[in-house]
Amino acid sequence: MKATATEMMVAACSKFIKNDETVFVGVGIPLLASLCANRTHAPNASIVFEGGGVGPSTMRVPWTISDNPTTENAIMSTETWRLFSDTQRGFIDCGLLGAAQIDRFGNINTSALFPDGYSFAHPKVRLPGSGGGNDIATLCKRFIVVCTMGKGRFVEKVDYITSPGFINGGNSRKEAGIRWGGPEAVITDKGVFRFQAETKEMYLSDIYAGGSIQEIIELIPWKLKIAEQVSEYEISDQEVGLIRSLDSLNIFLGSKSVDMVEDFDTYYHLMMKAAHPLT
Amino acid sequence: MDKLVSLREAVEAFLIDGCSFSYGGIAGREPMAVILEIVRQGYKDLTLLTAVSTDPANILLGAGCLKRIEMAYAWIGIVGSGLNLRRAVEKGVPNYVEVREYSNYAASLRFLAGAMGIPFLPTRTMLGSDIPTYNEDIKITDCPYTGEKLALVPAASPDVAFIHVQKADRMGNCQIWGVESNDANIARAAKKLVITCEEIISTEEIRSLPNMTAIPYYCVDAVVHLPLGCHPLPVAGYYAMDLPFRREFMQYNHTHEGFRQWLDEWVFSLKDHQEYLEKLGQDRLEKLKKLETDFSPIPVLVKEVSHK
Repeated sequence: MKATATEMMVAACSKFIKNDETVFVGVGIPLLASLCANRTHAPNASIVFEGGGVGPSTMRVPWTISDNPTTENAIMSTETWRLFSDTQRGFIDCGLLGAAQIDRFGNINTSALFPDGYSFAHPKVRLPGSGGGNDIATLCKRFIVVCTMGKGRFVEKVDYITSPGFINGGNSRKEAGIRWGGPEAVITDKGVFRFQAETKEMYLSDIYAGGSIQEIIELIPWKLKIAEQVSEYEISDQEVGLIRSLDSLNIFLGSKSVDMVEDFDTYYHLMMKAAHPLT
Repeated sequence: MDKLVSLREAVEAFLIDGCSFSYGGIAGREPMAVILEIVRQGYKDLTLLTAVSTDPANILLGAGCLKRIEMAYAWIGIVGSGLNLRRAVEKGVPNYVEVREYSNYAASLRFLAGAMGIPFLPTRTMLGSDIPTYNEDIKITDCPYTGEKLALVPAASPDVAFIHVQKADRMGNCQIWGVESNDANIARAAKKLVITCEEIISTEEIRSLPNMTAIPYYCVDAVVHLPLGCHPLPVAGYYAMDLPFRREFMQYNHTHEGFRQWLDEWVFSLKDHQEYLEKLGQDRLEKLKKLETDFSPIPVLVKEVSHK
């Protein structure tokens, strides 16, 4: 069974989740990664959703971070300010985040693209905004970024830091007043990046079996640092099977998740199957 | 104390052009029927104070109801991009809207400050980011006790707030189930509060589970009985998300003209929420309820009282 790039991302991301950890997740790949970790090396890892659901247990698909299944059979359902206060207090170990634009020091932009000639108030492209992204990046004990390597995704410096990584590298995150954390890794569809201990600069640490370093370098607009030994990452048939079983309706692993529910009755019958273990 | 009114009456009584307002929920329990009534009545120049909003914020933006949005997030999500936010901010279509951005935690603390009756709250979030760089309402300062860096966020006290809950009595005591978002704080921060609800219950039923009461009567100015008032968004314990409906909305929404067509079909050509529900049809609504109640109904707590 050859894993797709998305399945590789799920597998690679799951490796970073440790047992007994409480993990802030989003829907899609981050959620699948945490479920995969649950079924392999981290049976006691627990998930938290931005909507206030802590440790839900359900067979239904959560379509958003605050959809009804996110509080179903949960440990707790609480208010937004309370959950983020718990994060600020230091109770949440790890956060998983997406990125529209990411830079050399792991800073994330999900607010606006404004190259020369544009401004934040009048951007070229307006993006969703921080949501809880800034809070997760600032207040979780560490975070992991999950994004594809599309054109323009990686930039030397983001137009706007929505969610701080290591800011300008070195000690700048601490100097800004942030007490802990920062990005541990960036998981992409082509490989995995980590951050140097001193400079806090991103470097390529793993590529996926069959991929090439050259292909990755071409998508990075600065002189990318590369680990002395780049690991080649492979996943077993068993792992691929596990990941597919976590998304048996192929909602998040497939590319047309929403198009498959074009017709209301198709949607109804699919959802009545409730074949999505979230526990 | 009976505060029961119709949706139209509640909107007309409290909302005026140019005022600030908020609503409850986060992707679930956002009050779609209220938003469509605001659009139907043609409100202008409103300032929306929100943490995270999905379709409702985008519909208000596309319909030209807003002049400013103070928010952490205003996007559609799983079915597509927030194209109405993009068109308003990038192209001024149908009108330019100013964005004052916060993080979700910061936006949530603003409602907490409003609910506490204090002018601001300090937090460690947003430090080192560009959110304060481009929002002068956020002040970075040194803590007077420890000298640590802190971000201060101003209280949010909307002129009007609309919150949709599962159950309320006629006085306005509200019980919320599932995701709570910032509703208990928005209710207390607002100058006027309109509650819409799936079910009107008796005060005796409220009393049987007092810890479930998130919003007490003394915050509430009006109560509207509005079953299925969040469709196509979900309400925990009552109905699931109507994802195909949202997907179809996004297909119209690729252009502003398409969006106007959607408004004509689902807002302007319908008199009220009742006609909206009739257009959706009983079969579909029953199925959406079943997708929720077959899996996760609100548990019933039976109180055993001994009479001695």
